[in-house]
Amino acid sequence: MLSISTYYSLQYLLLLSAAVVFYEIFPLRARRWVMLLFSYLFFFAVSGKLVCYLILSTLSIHHIGIWLSDVQAESKAKLALLGKEAKEEKKALSASYLHKQRCIMTFAVILHVGMLLMLKYTPFAVENLNALIHFTGISYTFRLKKILVPIGISFYTLQAVAYLFDVYRQKIEADKNLLRLSLFMGFFPQIMEGPICRYSDTAEDLWKAERIRYDNLIAGGQRILFGFMKKIVLADRLNLLIKDVFSKYDDYDGFVIALCAICYTIQLYMDFSGTMDVVIGSAQIFGVKLPENFKRPFFSTTISEFWKRWHVTLGTFFKDYIFFPLSMSKPLKKLTTKARKKLGNHFGPLLAGAVALFCVWICNGLWHGAGWNYIFFGMFHFVLILLGSIIEPAAIKVTQKLHIKRTSKPYKFFQIIRTTILVCIGELFFRAEGLTAGFKMFKKIFTNFTFATLKDGTLFQFGMDKQDYIIIGVSVILILIISILQERGMHIRESISKRNIAIQFAIYYALILFIIIFGAYGGNYVPVDPIYAGF
Amino acid sequence: MDERLIEILEDIQPEVDYLTCTTLIDDHYLNSLAIISLVAELEEEYDITIPTVEIIPENFNSAENMWKMIQRLQEEG
Repeated sequence: MLSISTYYSLQYLLLLSAAVVFYEIFPLRARRWVMLLFSYLFFFAVSGKLVCYLILSTLSIHHIGIWLSDVQAESKAKLALLGKEAKEEKKALSASYLHKQRCIMTFAVILHVGMLLMLKYTPFAVENLNALIHFTGISYTFRLKKILVPIGISFYTLQAVAYLFDVYRQKIEADKNLLRLSLFMGFFPQIMEGPICRYSDTAEDLWKAERIRYDNLIAGGQRILFGFMKKIVLADRLNLLIKDVFSKYDDYDGFVIALCAICYTIQLYMDFSGTMDVVIGSAQIFGVKLPENFKRPFFSTTISEFWKRWHVTLGTFFKDYIFFPLSMSKPLKKLTTKARKKLGNHFGPLLAGAVALFCVWICNGLWHGAGWNYIFFGMFHFVLILLGSIIEPAAIKVTQKLHIKRTSKPYKFFQIIRTTILVCIGELFFRAEGLTAGFKMFKKIFTNFTFATLKDGTLFQFGMDKQDYIIIGVSVILILIISILQERGMHIRESISKRNIAIQFAIYYALILFIIIFGAYGGNYVPVDPIYAGF
Repeated sequence: MDERLIEILEDIQPEVDYLTCTTLIDDHYLNSLAIISLVAELEEEYDITIPTVEIIPENFNSAENMWKMIQRLQEEG
């Protein structure tokens, strides 16, 4: 049976190549069907018969979208019949139709988010319920059959909900065309790990189904290669150390644990941003422009900025569909207006902001997984962002008194390092095998830290030798240089494509050879499972 | 452009040239908390309701765009 567990496999490349060939040889109308067929084939290869969840979700939003649209049209038609003078009547009519739309949306959210909650969080809920029952001394245990969760459900559910909210807010029109909506929901490169697209981002590009262009093919191919490099050379190589230290943290001192937290942060970034390179590159081949999910997050000066640069589409989803709707709700708006008058411009909106931010970070933590360490991860960032806002005026005063220029490069560098350390701490808890393990590991960094480990050969215990560390160092520096150039506004892929064709291909071959020679595969290496596909 | 709007903006976030700046959101002059404050203030001042769908960078990147949005919402009643 065709089975794909990762983008970094021969099977994925074969499926992508086959999709390109069939897509190209068919005429426009058929190309759309070819794309949908390959999308469902890919999903089937990843999740088997669970593809039915994706199809049901698509059918559901197609129907609910049209339902909303019909209610909106009916409301407009009835309002148009009323004269200008009938203001009260119009208001009452609008309110009644708005109520109807809200009922439909409540039903839709319960259906889609409820399905996600049921499939993903039931075992976590049952586990905690059993712990609570045992705590009270009752010996009863709830037993649960294994629930199969379709890969990518956390991603496509958010896409579905965003689509319906956009129809409800009349930002977009409900799509009556089931094929176009199915393509938007199921487009195969992005179905497993995002990016979380809005209907207005991709539906039109997918529907156009343009012929494959040479420049798109080359640019997409470049991006895929770069993603492979990040994953196979770096993320998989680091896996040896990370797997061992997180599972046997009792055997290691604080230095190794701190190093492991840094390595895991690098691994997570290389794995997820590398996957995004493969995904966005694959889509580019078909002329589909997916939104970027990473904007060089390790140049962030605050945690708040970090989350505007890391997993961007998840952050904007939470901002648009949770943070602003909550903070703009009537009770919180009233709170803001009152608090502003008493507490001023800075602290006034903080109260409403904190309530909305708390909800965002609970959702963010839980979205990543059903576990207390994920909830802690969310709360950790909530506290850091809130603290950042609370102490900002004091921090400005302190730096002014110390004559530190906040826009100076050394101060910015200090902020970047501080943010990176905080991110690494958060990721330590995120990856730890349970919350207790996370705390024990964190404690060891402060109570059992010694540089002696650098010399006693511990670092070569994980199956990694000196060459591995050199390759990691060189690759990280290489990616850092590329990131600095991008941060300065340079478009590296564009500048490569302007070069002589011989130079262009020399660069591609060099990158391919780099991956083949320095890739961490075979031997001791165990490739890391696609981390975000599990969410 | 309405002078009162500029006053509100300067009250919320001073030291920005609101007559010329067109990247208030893109360049982080106004953060999410400032937007919460601003929306509450604009609704009270101009007797409008700003729905969540209007809270997009395009509407808040410049004072001019904000003014256009306010006028539009006033017309829509």
